[in-house]
Parts: sequence; structure tokens; C-alpha cells
Amino acid sequence: MTYTAWIIVTAALVGLSCGLVGVFLILRKTAMMADAISHTVLLGIVIAFLVTREVSGSAMLVGGILAGLVTAFLVQWLHSLRVQHDASMGIVFTTLFAIGVILISTSVGNAHLDVQHALMGEITFIPFHTITLPVIGQIPQATALLMIVFLVVLFFIIAFYKEWKITSFDPTLAASLGIPVMVMHYLFMSLVSVTTVASFDSVGAIMVVAMLITPAASAYLWTDKLAVMLVLSGFFGVISAVAGFYVAAWIDTSISGSMAFATGIVFLVSFIGSPKHGLLSKYIRPGVHGRIVWRVKR
Amino acid sequence: MKIKKWGSIFFLSLFLLLAACGDNDGTSADTSNAETIHVVTTIAQIGEPLSIIGGDKLTVESLMGPSVDPHLYNPTQSDISKVAEADIIFYNGLDLEANMVEVFKSISDEKPVLAVGETLPDESILIDEAGAIDPHIWFDINLWQQALDAAVEELKEYSPENAELFEKNKQAYFEKLDALKQDAEKLTEIPEKQRVLVTAHDAFGYFGHMNGLEVIGLQGLSTEDEVGISDINDTIAIIKEYEIPAIFVESSINQDAIQAVIEGAQSDGINVELGGELFSDAMGEPGTEEGTYVGMYKHNIEVIYEALNK
Repeated sequence: MTYTAWIIVTAALVGLSCGLVGVFLILRKTAMMADAISHTVLLGIVIAFLVTREVSGSAMLVGGILAGLVTAFLVQWLHSLRVQHDASMGIVFTTLFAIGVILISTSVGNAHLDVQHALMGEITFIPFHTITLPVIGQIPQATALLMIVFLVVLFFIIAFYKEWKITSFDPTLAASLGIPVMVMHYLFMSLVSVTTVASFDSVGAIMVVAMLITPAASAYLWTDKLAVMLVLSGFFGVISAVAGFYVAAWIDTSISGSMAFATGIVFLVSFIGSPKHGLLSKYIRPGVHGRIVWRVKR
Repeated sequence: MKIKKWGSIFFLSLFLLLAACGDNDGTSADTSNAETIHVVTTIAQIGEPLSIIGGDKLTVESLMGPSVDPHLYNPTQSDISKVAEADIIFYNGLDLEANMVEVFKSISDEKPVLAVGETLPDESILIDEAGAIDPHIWFDINLWQQALDAAVEELKEYSPENAELFEKNKQAYFEKLDALKQDAEKLTEIPEKQRVLVTAHDAFGYFGHMNGLEVIGLQGLSTEDEVGISDINDTIAIIKEYEIPAIFVESSINQDAIQAVIEGAQSDGINVELGGELFSDAMGEPGTEEGTYVGMYKHNIEVIYEALNK
């Protein structure tokens, strides 16, 4: 495959995984979880550095994922102690981030250690870093990693579809039906953490945060059905990846930046044009016999 | 049903948009003919000298242009084709391009890739008190000559028919570097006690090592380090002790921390002034004198000499 194709495929995988996970983040009103994790991974990579004394490589990915899991668990735990969800996110990520900053300036010294270089990947150079897998052959490492992540996400969403649905919309009902709500919460947060950190490692922070939130928020404007929302959200993620790449090629700029920008455009179009909640639909409604009636605010 | 209609209109328009801009597939950077050797470097400090040494046999492109700070480099779409079409790639190494090293290692299976900094003998590499490697080797002209020499050897091996030309041009360029070393000698005229270079981040370790200056960086090696209050107070104490007349800002870094030091020192009754702007990780704008390695180095020598020799 060409370099361009690999980049688009990888970005599309990010769009799909993040789009699916993002739907539940939006429904559970925990949209900024990815942003929180993007800060706490600092602690993970600092500890990974202290253990291995390397500033890049797979140890950083493992450290990042562990930090993501710790974040997810602490947030969920604080929330279960009746701290508001957004507040518990804010508390956990600032505290863990601060510990990372303190560790860097006390025990790491002057090493070139920052999240940007140690963990965050760069989508532009994905095609040049390949590994050879059995059956598939030569494939960029990031693409292989994201393929696995996507399959894991897809598996868990399909396997527990009913449980996700009920716990997301009505936790009390779920509990009364005997669904282990807490376990589902922790499982979901682990899924979020693995998806975000693996995507950070492959394509960088800005694009992941955008892909997690914006396509799902756009899909929510088009439908109230969970299944439709999941499909739309994944689709918007892919569309943004493709459109973003060509915008980057057109004005020769940062690829991940323009993909994140494209998600914003998809949202804007949805916000204006969606039939249910869009701006336009508030003014234009089809009349009784299919004629368009302009509704004017008085 | 309405959802379907609206939806299909929306997607149709998106696809039309995609189709409209889907033709130019990253091949636009291919402007040169097949005769020349495509050389891609990360930092311009490698690329600019090589473009002189290679003459018209090389097409040299630097991913991080002369005025780009390598710590804050953001690749653009056309960088894909630059790397893809390169015949030979040079980078600094020593963790300067930490997040690209794996990419370069992978590419080295297919074409020659050389980390020029890692060809230097270990004992010439500076290590700070915390054990971290200082990658800013281009500030020691002697080391940089060795690094460029390694790059030129690689080029000769790639293109034996041009080896003589490269060697000749290299000798000519190295003569310029020798003259630059002569220029730098005048830094030893600065009164010994004042030979202290205070800057925003630790980029000048090799510069100080070569030219007999003590270097104090506020920020540490990475430009993303935080500046602590103790860093600022320690620096003010040093300025007081050595009676340093001036401290310096860098072209690619925010000047607030250095300004804080100056203001703090002044409130302590010490008169220290802003010595001027030095080029550290980034060189000047392309096309200007400071956009070349020699011009950038000369600029730094002049600014430091003027400010500290009082």
C-alpha cells in the first residue's frame, strides 16, 4: 500500500475506535476523560523512565496505559464516594500530573523527558515504521496496534451491548436488574484508557481528544437511538480522518491537526443541519402536505 | 425517513468535497531531476553545510527548517514525500529527535540513515550532572567538523563518482570553519571572571566547553522544562557573585524567564542587562546570513563578546 493509504487507514482506525468509545463517554457525561488521561500519562512515562532509563520505546506505552488505568480507577472510585464526576476527574488528573512534574524536576534531572517526545506518536511518519506480521505481512507498527485496539473495543461493545445501554442511560434500573454497574464502569474506563493511550502512542494527543468527543457529539445531534449513534459516530470519525488528510495535503500542514479540525467541521455541519436538533430545523419544518413552511420567531 | 434524506444530502456533499481535492497525492515535492542525490536532514545545522559541500550534486532538504526549534517541530503533510523520496538521511541523534528515532531505525533497512552525532567518540559527548546526554553538539566546531566529516564519508560511499568533488568542497568548507574558530578565539579576551553565559535553556554546553565559558541555563536541556523559583534565585546569586554584566535570550524561546531574572537582580540592586538574542536550537531565517551555520555562529560570538567584554 502507498504511504498515503497507510496513514488514512491508521487514522480511520483511530476514528472508529475513538468514535465508538466516545459515544459512551458523551452519554455518561465524562467527555473530558481523554484530556485527563493525556495529562496523567506524564506520571506513567516518568515512572517508566525511572525503571528503564530509556526515553522512548514500548516501556513508555506500558507506563502510559498503567497511568491511564490508575486515572480511570481513581476517578471512578472518587465518584463512587459521591464526588461529582467532573470534579473527581479534575482532582485526579491535576494531582497525578503534579506528581509527574515534581518527579521530573527532582529525580529525572535534565533528561529530554516530556510527554510530547516520549509517548505521543506522529501520524506523518507512521508508514516508515513497519513490522512484519505472520499472514498479514509488512504493516506499520501503529496500524497493527490500533487494529488490535479496534477489535478489542468492538468485541466489548458487542458482547455487553445491552449492559452498556442500560448502565449508561439508567444506572439505577441496571442495578435493580442485577447488572454489576460498578464492574461495568471500571471495565468501560479501562477500555477508554487503553484506547486513548494506544492512540496517543500512534497519532498524538490533539487528534485523539478530538476523535473521542466530537464525532460522538455530532452523532448525538442526528439520532436518539444508541445503535444508530454508534454507527454514525464511527462513520464521522472515518470521514474526518479522510477529509483531514486531504486538507493537510491541500495546504501542506500538520496531518493530525487538520484531522482534528475536520471533526470540528463535521460537528458544525451537524449542528446547523441535523433534522432533530439542528439550527436550520428550528426554522424550517415541512408543512402538512409536504410544503415547506418558514417558521419565524415572533 | 427524513433522517435518511438529510443524511444522504450531507454525505453526498462530503464525498464531493473529498473527490474535489483528492488528486494531488503528495507528489508535489518532487521538483528535482533524477541526476541529483536527495538528502534529507532533520535539523538545518546538518543540511545547510551539506548543501554547500554537495554543490549541485545534492538536493538537500531539512525537515526542521533553519528557524524551527527541533523540540517543538510539527511535521507537515509534504514531509512524508520528503522522507519517502530521500536517497540518504542524516539526523543529529543523541536523543535530539527522540520520537523519530524508531522511524529512522525502521527506514535504515531500506536506505542509508546516519545519526551524525552518534559517530563521535563517547568521551567527547557532554553529560550533565543528572546523567543526561547533551545533544547540542553543533556548538563545538571541532565536533561538528567530525560529524560533518562522517556525513560526507557516507555520501562518498553512496556516490563514489562524486567522491573527489565532495572531498574538495569539504576541504574548502572546513577552511571556513577553521576561520570561524579563529574568530571565536576573541571570546578569551573577556575578563576571566565574567566568562559566564547565562541563557534560557541548556543549549550552550558545547559552546562554553569549546570557548572557555561557564554556561548556566535556567531551564534544563529540554525547552519544555519548567523554570522553578529556585532556578531564578540561584541564577541571580551567581550573577551577583561573578558581577556578570549581561545575560541572553534565545531566538526560539519565550523570554519571560530571563526577564524575571533581570528584574529580580535589579530589585537586589545589581545591574545586569539583556546582552542580546542568541541562536540556539534554531538558526536564523533562511536566506539571511544568520540562516547559515557559519553566520549563526558568528552572530553568537559577536553578541556574547560585545555584551560580556566590559
